Amino acid sequence: MSTTSAGLEFHDVTVAYGRRPVLWNVDLTVPGACLFGIVGPNGAGKSTLLKAALGLVPLAGGEVRILGAPLEQVRARVGYVPQRESVDWDFPVSVTDVVLMGTYARLGWLRRPGPRERALAAECLDRVGLADVAERQIGRLSGGQQQRVFLARALAQQADVYFLDEPMAGVDARSQERIFRVLSDLRAEGRLVVIVHHDLRSVAEWFDAVALIDMRLVATGPVAEVLTPENLRRTYAGRLDVLDEIGRAVAEGGRTS
Amino acid sequence: MIEIDTTHVWMHFWAIATAATVSAACALVGSFLVVRRLSLLGDAISHAVLPGIVLAVLAGGRPGGAGVFLGAVVAALVTVWLTNLLGTHAGLAEDAGAGVAFTTLFAIGVVLVSALASQVDIDPGCVLYGILELVPFDTVPIFGLEVPRALLAAATVLAVLVVAAALCWKELVFTAFDPAAARAAGLPVGIVSAGLLVATSLATVASFEAVGAILVVAMLAVPAAAAELLVRRFHLMLVVAVALGIAGSIVGYLAAWHFNTNAAGMIAVVLGIEYLLAALLAPGDGVVARVVSRESLRWRVACEDRLASLWRAEEGDAAALAPRTLLDRLAQARLVFGGRIVPGRAGGLTDIGREEARVIVRSHRLWEAWLGRHVALPLDHLHPPAEWIEHHLGAEVRGRIAADLEGDEGDPHGRDIPPEEFPRRAADEPTR
Amino acid sequence: MILAAADLPFPTGWIPPYNTLVVAAGVASVGFAAGVVGCFAVLRRRALAGDAAAHATLLGVGLAFLLGGGRRDLPLLLGGALSTAIAALAGLVLIGRWTRTREDAATAIVLGVSFGAGITLLSGISARGIPGSAGLEQFLLGHTAGLTAADAMILGALSLLAVALVTLFLKESTLVAFDPLFAAASGWPVTLIDYALVVLVAVMVVVGLPAAGAVLVTALVVIPPVTARQWTDRVGVMLPLAGLFGLVAALSGVAVSSAVPRMPTGPLVVIAASLLLAISLLLAPRRGGLARWLRSRRTVAAWAEGRLLEVALRLEGEGPFTREQLLAKAPGVAAERAFKRLARTAAIEPVVTRAGTHAWRLAVWGRELAAERSRRLAAWTEVLEAAREDARGHLTIDVPSPEAILGAARMKAIRESAAAARSASGPVSGGMS
Repeated sequence: MSTTSAGLEFHDVTVAYGRRPVLWNVDLTVPGACLFGIVGPNGAGKSTLLKAALGLVPLAGGEVRILGAPLEQVRARVGYVPQRESVDWDFPVSVTDVVLMGTYARLGWLRRPGPRERALAAECLDRVGLADVAERQIGRLSGGQQQRVFLARALAQQADVYFLDEPMAGVDARSQERIFRVLSDLRAEGRLVVIVHHDLRSVAEWFDAVALIDMRLVATGPVAEVLTPENLRRTYAGRLDVLDEIGRAVAEGGRTS
Repeated sequence: MIEIDTTHVWMHFWAIATAATVSAACALVGSFLVVRRLSLLGDAISHAVLPGIVLAVLAGGRPGGAGVFLGAVVAALVTVWLTNLLGTHAGLAEDAGAGVAFTTLFAIGVVLVSALASQVDIDPGCVLYGILELVPFDTVPIFGLEVPRALLAAATVLAVLVVAAALCWKELVFTAFDPAAARAAGLPVGIVSAGLLVATSLATVASFEAVGAILVVAMLAVPAAAAELLVRRFHLMLVVAVALGIAGSIVGYLAAWHFNTNAAGMIAVVLGIEYLLAALLAPGDGVVARVVSRESLRWRVACEDRLASLWRAEEGDAAALAPRTLLDRLAQARLVFGGRIVPGRAGGLTDIGREEARVIVRSHRLWEAWLGRHVALPLDHLHPPAEWIEHHLGAEVRGRIAADLEGDEGDPHGRDIPPEEFPRRAADEPTR
Repeated sequence: MILAAADLPFPTGWIPPYNTLVVAAGVASVGFAAGVVGCFAVLRRRALAGDAAAHATLLGVGLAFLLGGGRRDLPLLLGGALSTAIAALAGLVLIGRWTRTREDAATAIVLGVSFGAGITLLSGISARGIPGSAGLEQFLLGHTAGLTAADAMILGALSLLAVALVTLFLKESTLVAFDPLFAAASGWPVTLIDYALVVLVAVMVVVGLPAAGAVLVTALVVIPPVTARQWTDRVGVMLPLAGLFGLVAALSGVAVSSAVPRMPTGPLVVIAASLLLAISLLLAPRRGGLARWLRSRRTVAAWAEGRLLEVALRLEGEGPFTREQLLAKAPGVAAERAFKRLARTAAIEPVVTRAGTHAWRLAVWGRELAAERSRRLAAWTEVLEAAREDARGHLTIDVPSPEAILGAARMKAIRESAAAARSASGPVSGGMS
């Protein structure tokens, strides 16, 4: 993969739903091969930023480049893990079926997934620790397992850049650990992983760099530099007491009590 | 009134074949609509194709011909466009938008049919509930065989749909399951969704002559919804839905013939009965299965509670010794019969019964102890959750809780927690 | 075997004026009541549950006809219709409670199957040639010409009763429609009120049968409330307005249908209602299409203009810029128009370079505009940091002046609290421009 250009660039990205701005002139560059967190309060536009990168919402202004090229040219190298609530878990498909979906775009029209795709799906399921539930209907999994199925599907895409939207929401501790482990492996393989995340505490533990977002970009850079009390105040207006504590914990590289 | 010569078996064969073909096409498309929560789109399209068909016929198209299909597809697309427009620009909820769009288009269709009755050969009755019985009278020769035109049209549509579904299977399933991720992966989600709309309108038009606008709704939604209850894999669901649709049309047609009534209506009724049976008998979460599992749980709980209270009686707690409710009595009888309780009025636990009772009481007290340690609940609030959880704790979890309690021997009420494995010698005196 | 419309003796003869008047009054009150009752069905997103109930009425009509021994007694038939309509709604509730089938599919199932059952029954009745059965078909698409004055009075009375009930329980219904959880938490019998509202819809569907027919009567319940919603944001106004639209639609449908022979009433009522809706969607103030279009055009124009100025200010650091350079950073049709407007208002002015190309630079006036915009953005950033909800609630992409929207006093307070919070820390970065 090309590491000469930045993994992900937002240039003056503005998104509006009707007249209401959701993101305003976000100018952000993410280097390649790292775990990058997009952090901010509820309704700050974190998911929208991800969707803007994936071309799922129209831009009012600005442009996005992935691996130095417009999205259309690198679509096949981009993997996406949407929010778990975005689909109907009653849908009559098995875990393997869902993971195989990751290979569909590469197969193109008319071609069916063959033994090679099945082997890949099995391998991806194994990586997320779900090999034993491969034939189960997806509704019969726990929240954490469902999220890991989504992750396995993204792995099956064999992408160079991964986007994850709130992968830890409603996920048990064991699944969280497992997911972070897999994501760290991806980084070690030289891939870029961009994660929308809301839990500030685990940011310091796992991420290399973050962007603090609240409609506009407040700050971006290595975790320790960004999560300062001042930046947090400007992002999470008015909830200072908790934030001071987190800021201190981050500065000391520890955890909150 | 049209009298059909009942001796003409061929006529019935052709009518049944048409109904079955139409049903199969509808069930196929309907499965996609049902899993995508678009059943109401099928409803809307089936109503809205009417003005398209009427205008196409008025422009010289033959009923069942390509022109009519085109008109219907256009009308269907207009409905969907209108619904979306009402949604995005007027802020209407989807149901209200669809309700407005299809009633309006259907009304326009009916008015056109009524006003142009002399120029358009469409019966307003047929619009609503079809004329399956007349289908065999309008035939075209194929290899020397007089095949009903409606059957030919329906079979063509079915073939097209089956081929399309087979070829675009991946795209259809991915788009149906997770449209956002499909779009992010670069799949042509827009084209696939539009294709589904076109497929729905093709199936609807093919069915129109045979079953009318409204009963198409039943053919689209009912077999698919029933199949969804019965199986949990999508390709199986398609097969089951098509099978249910075909079976429903055959049985429905024969029943209608027997009772001398409208065939399309009767097919809808039979499909409804199929759905009802599926809802009742579905394995796992059908109504019957749910009632059985709930009652069997209640029964197990009653038996275990019985055992536990006898254990407590042996510990010296005399409360709740005698069975009180009918369920308790039945449980008592079952336990006596199963050798858990000694027969007779003052029957105590047998060895097997004591073994089982110990596990239950152990579960109960472990949970109380665990709650008492980790959750700040007052003492008198510990019993109810434990009373419920004691029936669900497995050996492994019990082991983990016991490990967590680090050999703490008593529950928060100060009573002993019975051990998992009895020491050999203590087997006769459970209170230790 | 089957019902053919051609066999039906739709009476088209001359009707005495008294009867016509009474029927018109009856239908008018049905239209009014359907609009009023429909409001809650639409607000509660139950529009299509009413449709399922409507399609089920046919079965009830047939059953009541058989039970009544072949009499075509309107109250009896409508009673039958009501019972199957309610049964259909109960079926919906049961499917929702006991199966995995989702609401949309459940609605389609109940609608399709109950209509099929109704058609089967009516066809069976018709095929057996039971006397008086021919006219039953008019319940499919509606035909008011056959109504007697007595029938119309019953319909009118039922409608007025429904309106009275909704008026009486307006507060409770609004609460339940808006926030059922809150209503339940404050002790209201939510399920009861909910079911009562649905049953009321079923009643209106049944009462509307003679006017609009089973297939289309739902339009009478859905379209007028949707129309009324375009004109008002208040439930109290929406109800009477919906009633009024329903009344107009019903009356005009009936009038046209009585003038044209063999034309069923239902479709005409629906078309009349849709015309009213179309007009409202286009012309209503605030929510209407025209008003929205104008507003969004203004907003987009202001946004594009501001964006051009912002880019121009940035580009100007390296000397004059060309039109292409500017538009490359802010593409779009709106931007091209904005460019022309900026040139016309002399916010940007042409400069002649030595190469002879057309280049531009910001005029003093344009620089002032750009500066004002970035001042406003900075102020909004401050608002976002100190009083997040104020910013989220009021900031639009045309960047209005925060002082004009929030008031000078509120802005002052926000500034002070922002300054206080900032006093301990370093320089500000990461604004919106």
